[in-house]
Amino acid sequence: MIYPVVVPALGATGGDFALVGWLVQPGAWVEQGAPLFVVQTDKADMEVEAFRGGYLRTIVIPAGATVSVRETVAYLSDSRDEPLAADGIETPQAPLATGAAPRSSASYSSLNSCEGLLEAYRHMVLTRRFEDHLYALFLQGLVPGTLHQYQGQEAVAVGVCSVLESGDAVFSTHRPVGHFIARGCPLRSIAAELWGKATGCAGGKGGQMHLTNMQIGAYPSNAIVGANIPIATGAALAFRLSRTNRVAVSFFGDGATNIGAFHEGINLAAVKNAPVIFVCENNHYAASTHISLSTRVQQIARRAEAYGIPGHTMDGMDILAVYQATREAVARARAGEGPTLLEFLTYRYAGHSRGDPGGYRTKEELQKWRELDPIPRCREVLMRQYGASAESLQLIEDECQESVEDSVEFARSSPNPASGELRAAVYASGGAQ
Amino acid sequence: MSARLSMAEALRDAMRLAMKRNPLVFLMGQDIGISGGFGGGFTVTLGLSDEFGHDRVMDTPISETAIVGAAVGAAMAGMRPIAEMQYGDFVFCAMDQVVNQAAKMRYMSNGQVSVPMVLRLPVGASGRGAQHGQCTEALFMHTPGLKVVCPSTPYDAKGLLLAAIDDDDPVIFLEHKRLYGSKGSRKERTSLEIDEPVPEEEYEVQLGSAAVRRPGSDVTIVANMLMVHRALSAAAELQREGIGAEVVDLRSLVPLDMETLVRSARKTSRVMIAEEDNLTGGWGAKIAARLTNEVFYSLDRPIARVAAPDTPLPCAPVLEEEYVPSVQRIVQAARDLMN
Repeated sequence: MIYPVVVPALGATGGDFALVGWLVQPGAWVEQGAPLFVVQTDKADMEVEAFRGGYLRTIVIPAGATVSVRETVAYLSDSRDEPLAADGIETPQAPLATGAAPRSSASYSSLNSCEGLLEAYRHMVLTRRFEDHLYALFLQGLVPGTLHQYQGQEAVAVGVCSVLESGDAVFSTHRPVGHFIARGCPLRSIAAELWGKATGCAGGKGGQMHLTNMQIGAYPSNAIVGANIPIATGAALAFRLSRTNRVAVSFFGDGATNIGAFHEGINLAAVKNAPVIFVCENNHYAASTHISLSTRVQQIARRAEAYGIPGHTMDGMDILAVYQATREAVARARAGEGPTLLEFLTYRYAGHSRGDPGGYRTKEELQKWRELDPIPRCREVLMRQYGASAESLQLIEDECQESVEDSVEFARSSPNPASGELRAAVYASGGAQ
Repeated sequence: MSARLSMAEALRDAMRLAMKRNPLVFLMGQDIGISGGFGGGFTVTLGLSDEFGHDRVMDTPISETAIVGAAVGAAMAGMRPIAEMQYGDFVFCAMDQVVNQAAKMRYMSNGQVSVPMVLRLPVGASGRGAQHGQCTEALFMHTPGLKVVCPSTPYDAKGLLLAAIDDDDPVIFLEHKRLYGSKGSRKERTSLEIDEPVPEEEYEVQLGSAAVRRPGSDVTIVANMLMVHRALSAAAELQREGIGAEVVDLRSLVPLDMETLVRSARKTSRVMIAEEDNLTGGWGAKIAARLTNEVFYSLDRPIARVAAPDTPLPCAPVLEEEYVPSVQRIVQAARDLMN
C-alpha cells in the first residue's frame, strides 16, 4: 500500500507554512510516531510525526517550499519496492539531504554532568587506544596505507562534537580519526577504511585521509589543507537558505591558516552570516614547520578581527574549556549571529604522518605537553567532582581496548572491494561517461 | 509559446524557471545581483535578484575559491547551486575546488554524497587578451567526475542549462562570450547575432546528445560553441565548391555522444575537428583518438584538426583573428581532406 503524507492542521491559524526540512531520507523506514518533517508555523518550528510506519518513498515537496494544510508532501509505503504507479505520484526531483537530518550520530549529555563527561571520556580513550594500537601495528609493518594520527588532540574533537546535534555537519581533515570517533562513526568502519576494505565507511575508496559517514553528518574528510573551510561555509549557507537551524563545523590545523581558502572561506562566511564554527586545532606544527616560521601573528584567533567575527583562544587540552567555548559559538550560529573562529591550543604526540619521528622538536617540549594530557585531566574531574571510581573508569578503558582490537580484527578479515568498484561512483549513473 | 531570445536571455530564462520551480536552486557569483548593477559580466543574471532576492541571487566577494568551495558544500548539503566565474579564466584561482573537491567527492565517499552544482564559465576570445578569453573545456574533460557542456545556440543553452541544473553531478557549463548577443550597452562588440525562437516553457536538451547542424556526405566537421557557427559558414562556402560538409555540434564533451560521431564519420569517411583553444592536449585530440580506434578502416584520410596555435591568446585584434580558427582555415582544411 501507498499512503500519502499530508500537512496536518497546525495551531489555530491554519493557512500556509514553510516546510523547513525532512528528517528522513527517501527510501528509509520511518516508525509510526517518529518525526518525519519540520514545518514552521507562526509560533515555532514543529516536527510532524509519521502517522504510520512505512518506507519514505517519495518526497513531493522539498525543504524550503511553502505548504498548506492537507497538502500531500510525501508518500509512505509498506514495502521498499512496491511501484508508485498511482496517478499524481511524482518522482522526487532531487536528493533532499538539506532537510534530512541524520539521526544516528553520537549524542552526549551536557559535559557539565557526570553522564556527559563519562561519554566524552569514553570517546577520548577510544580514540587514544585506537591510534596507539594502529601505531604499534604500523611499527610491525601491518598497516597498509598512510597514517596521520591524533593522539594529544582528543579533547578538541570530543569537546566540539559533544555540542553538536544530529543534523549538524562536520568537515574534517587528513587527520580525521578523532573527529569521526567523536561524532559516533562505528570504529569497525573506520578501521576497515584504513585497511582499504569493502566494509570501510567509504568502501575502501577513500582511505585513511578520506573518511565519510553521511549517516552521522560527517562529510568527506579533506586532504587538501584548508579546502574544507569554504566547503563548510557552503553547507552552512545551505542550512540557512533552507531555514533550518543546523550548523557546520570546519576543523583545520594551524597549517591551514596561511592558505587562501582560509581567508576566502571565513570572509565569505562572515559577510553572509553563515552558521559555521571554524575550529583551528593549533598544534603548533604544519608537518615539520613550527608556527613561528610561517606567521608573525601566532595567535590565530586574532585573525577573526579582520573578518569582523568573534575569535577565542582556549586550552585545547581541557575538554571542559573546549566544550564551553564551542557551546557559545554553536548557540551564536544557531541564533543567526554568524560564524566564530575558535583556536584550541593543543599538540600532536605523533609525527605528522607515518614514518615521521618528529626530529624537529625536543623531548622536553613533548614532555611539557604530555603533562597537560586531556585524558588524565578529564579522569581527575570525573573522580574528584563526580566521585567516579577507578574501577568504573578502568571498565570503560577495557571496553575501549576491546573495541579497538575487535575493529582491527574486523578490518583485517574483511573482504577487499570487488574490482568493479574501481569504476563505480564516478558519476551518479556510475562509471565513466 | 516562444519568443526570440539571445543566448544571454535564454540562460537567464532557464535560471528563472529553475528557481521558480525548485527552492533548492540558488545563484552565487560576483556582481550578479547588486541592485543597480549589471547582472554579472554579461547581463545573464540581470533582474533575477529583484525577483528572487539577494539570498538566492547571492553576490560574493572576489573569491573564486570561496565561490566554488561554497557551491560544493551547499551542493553536498542538498542544494542545487549555480556558481558563476565572471570570466572563465578566473576558474584557475579555484582549481582545487573544481578538480580535487567537486569532481572527487562522490568517488571518495563511495557514492555517499552528490555534488549537484553548475559552474558557469564565460569563455572565448573577445578582444580582452590572454587572461580573459581562454576556452578551458579540455582541462575539465580530463577530470573524471565532471561533466562539460558547451552550447552554441540560445535554444540549446536554455535546454542544456536546465538539464545541467537537474543533473546530480557537477557540471562545467561554458558560455561563449561572442554568442551571448546580450542586448544593450554591455553587448559584446564582436558578438554574433544568433537570436532564435526559444520556447517559454521548461524543456531539457539531454547532456551527451550531439546535434547534426547540417547534413553532408563528403566531410564531417566536429565543433562546439563559436566554432559551430564558423563551421556552418565554411560548409556553405564548401557547398559552392561542390563539397558536402556535415557539421556536428557536440553540445557536451562529457558525456560525449560517440554514437553520432561514429555514424557521421562512417558516412563521410573524412573528419576534421575545429576547436578554439590551442592544439596540444585539446579536446579534439581525444575525439580523434577515439574515432581512430572505432572507425579507422572507414576513414579515407587522417583526421584533421584546426585549432589555435600553442601560444597564449594575444590581444591585438589582428593577432587574435589569426589565433582563433577562421572560416577560411576550416574551408582550407576541408579542401585538403578532399584531395
